[in-house]
Amino acid sequence: MFLAAGDIQVGNETLGVTGFLLLATALFVLGAIGVLIRRNPLVMLICIELMLNAVNLTLVAFARQLNNLEGQLFALMTMTVAAAEAVVGLAILVDIFRVRAVDDVDELSELRG
Amino acid sequence: MASIVFYLFGFLALAGGLGVVLFREPIKNVLSLVLVMLSLAVLFLLLSAQFVFAVQVIVYAGAVMVLFLFVVALMGPIHEHGSAWRTAGSGILALVVVAAFAGFLWSMLSSVRYRSPDAGDQSLFGTVQAIGVGLFTTYLYPFELTSILLLVAAVGAIYLSRRPGDEPAPELVEEPARSIEDREVERTGIAAS
Repeated sequence: MFLAAGDIQVGNETLGVTGFLLLATALFVLGAIGVLIRRNPLVMLICIELMLNAVNLTLVAFARQLNNLEGQLFALMTMTVAAAEAVVGLAILVDIFRVRAVDDVDELSELRG
Repeated sequence: MASIVFYLFGFLALAGGLGVVLFREPIKNVLSLVLVMLSLAVLFLLLSAQFVFAVQVIVYAGAVMVLFLFVVALMGPIHEHGSAWRTAGSGILALVVVAAFAGFLWSMLSSVRYRSPDAGDQSLFGTVQAIGVGLFTTYLYPFELTSILLLVAAVGAIYLSRRPGDEPAPELVEEPARSIEDREVERTGIAAS
């Protein structure tokens, strides 16, 4: 069966890889908007995780389309980096919250704690 | 079937993404992100990435999100006084980002040409075996670097979450090792003959 370059075969059905890329772009934009307009630092961290997940979807979709496993390997690397980022970010956040309860990142404009 | 799965879980992922941005309480944001991650895990399975699916469910939706939930529970309810949104300037910036990505989308939909797939044996695509061969041969150094990254992150998190004045008390550190017989004497008050 002939497949166009952007199509992938799932079972006995063909799916366009474009749909996955559109979904990933939408999720990435949602995460970027969240980082830009939300005030709560915890929610901003969650939105960064959302953006990293959207990038993972792109990597895995291209890995499938190109029949090349490197995309999946780098998706795993992204997960590791995301886990490290979440751990350090949450530790900093908990440290800040020990000093005072912050509900707005714009209040954290000085480095004296 | 496959397209039904794609549209269903793509819709769920988008709904979760909207929830992440729009909900006011952090606990609902975190649970929306769990929804996004589980939906994306199903899409990974659709893209025959079985190992990435398992890691996404166990590590991401399991461990990382439990960490977020833990911090939300630790902080207690945060009452955002006034608006949940930041200043108008960041709203304008968000509009600029949306416009830029709309441009990307338009160009992607109108003129993208996909490279034709690589040739090769695809019977093991996405299995643990194929991933392991990739991680331990071609990408050995990045793989080892991620372990160093995780170590540094763990040490940094422990250092950051240490309270000031939280050093172990000197008597705990310098307590001399005592034999079991000494402890028994201390507990019962009877010296063994």
